[in-house]
Amino acid sequence: MRRVKILVVCGTGIATSTVVSRKLEEKLSKEGFEVETRQCKASEVSANLEGVDIIVSTTPISGNVKVPIVRTLAFLTGVGEEDAIQEIIQKLGGDKS
Amino acid sequence: MTLNDIISGLGVTVLLPIILFVLGLFFRIDVKRLFRSAVLIGVGFIGINLILGYFLNNLAPAAQKMVEFTGVNLPILDVGWPAAAAIAFAGKIGLFVIPITVLVNFLMYVLHLTDTIDVDVWNYWHFAFTGGLVYALTDNLWLGMLASAINAAIVLVLGDWTAPAVQQYYGIPGISLPHGFSAAYVPIAIPINWLLDKLHLDKIQADPESIKKRWGIFGDPVIIGLVLGLVVGLLGNLKTLNDAKSWFNILQLGMSMAAVMYIFPKMVSILMDGLIPISEGVREFMKSRAKGRKFYIGLDSAIAVGTPAAIASSMILVPIAIVLMVLIPQNRMLLAVDLAVLPFMVVMTVPITKGNILKTVIIGTIIIAVGLLIGTNLSPLFTKAAIQAQFKMPSNATQISSICDGSNPLTWLIVKLINSWYGVVILFAILVLFLYFYRTHRQTWEKIAGATEVTEENK
Repeated sequence: MRRVKILVVCGTGIATSTVVSRKLEEKLSKEGFEVETRQCKASEVSANLEGVDIIVSTTPISGNVKVPIVRTLAFLTGVGEEDAIQEIIQKLGGDKS
Repeated sequence: MTLNDIISGLGVTVLLPIILFVLGLFFRIDVKRLFRSAVLIGVGFIGINLILGYFLNNLAPAAQKMVEFTGVNLPILDVGWPAAAAIAFAGKIGLFVIPITVLVNFLMYVLHLTDTIDVDVWNYWHFAFTGGLVYALTDNLWLGMLASAINAAIVLVLGDWTAPAVQQYYGIPGISLPHGFSAAYVPIAIPINWLLDKLHLDKIQADPESIKKRWGIFGDPVIIGLVLGLVVGLLGNLKTLNDAKSWFNILQLGMSMAAVMYIFPKMVSILMDGLIPISEGVREFMKSRAKGRKFYIGLDSAIAVGTPAAIASSMILVPIAIVLMVLIPQNRMLLAVDLAVLPFMVVMTVPITKGNILKTVIIGTIIIAVGLLIGTNLSPLFTKAAIQAQFKMPSNATQISSICDGSNPLTWLIVKLINSWYGVVILFAILVLFLYFYRTHRQTWEKIAGATEVTEENK
């Protein structure tokens, strides 16, 4: 089980990011990841980067961010969830060890 | 014991979870997951109630003192969208809003009156809010439900209309934003934007990133709350500033408000978490019946709110809103929690102004100025709806309102018109004419709303 810390971002930090966090926890644990999520707003990203492996966001994020970002609506629309998960795994380095 | 006794006896924290559990069964959601979510919904309500009570109990006396000692006459407390949403879902209309909206959406979709499938169940609360105000006004449950249905119908068409614009500006293909609050401002923003273009204001560009750096403090709700609390505390204790106790009071009020701004949305998050399975159930239910015809998936405008132009504009609008609140003589609303909702007010205006911050701020200023009057005007109904939804007010004199949706022009329009037969006729006429002219001139209308390319759907 690889532990990953995901920063889940949306416009308010509580609306869609709650949905996405749940989905990530559910789906990534099936892929062998131990997921810890933190939620925040788009404007708070730079203040919340400590220890974060990847950012998953439903809303645009601007500014220079060193951590890989996956922007997707798949977990809200129910369309393309598997592709989104694969993209996240890939950006995490694909390494499950 | 009558049914009514049972309903009011159980209270919303027990009733809504039960009703939503039953609804969830209808959508064939896994029972274990559904049960836990239903409980979470009740927990969310309890959390919201706690913070709302804390907010009112701390701010009401302070605002009272401010009014008495400085004549700054702002006795109506802005409880914000978290409270408005809770009041909407907790009211009698809230119990029915999910089936009503799904029914309206489904019927309209089947009749080709909308292309949007609104899976954003959380935001159905806006429709229940309008219905709740109408119910408070008329005591007529059917009229309240009709108001909800009309609100949902109009917002669905607004979602269709703005879909190409938001898809292109925000890069979100296949999505529309049938958001009861954000979408309501589009018909207002369009003519103002046209006027501003005629004045060549579209030529003035501002850089969102530098605005975010300079005005960043206005984008942080915790700091907004702290400052607001300190200011109200200061004004309320203006006559006793030599007394140390006044300063303790002022500093504590600052912290109380900061706490409310931070914690309130987190309580709402619990409620939202509980709604997730039902939301997914509604989504899969409607998608499976869409029968291969193309549709937009209607989502929360929160997915676009992070855009720099919206964030930067709303930062500038916070101090503007505070100034307007004090300057406008007929305004009685003390802005508080909803100073944080301003990004949602402008998020669907941004594609229309093409990200021009100056124009967005001007439009926002006008919207807020009018909104303060609407919020003041709807406050009695808002307060009554809250009491009817079993939220306790600290005193009989307490008046509440909000920007979202207490100052929503569409809500105001529906509430004002629905209580007379000719008003209802006018409302239906608006809906029918809107539908007719929009759907027969899709390309032109969608360009006006900010679309820059012709999409496959409306060639």
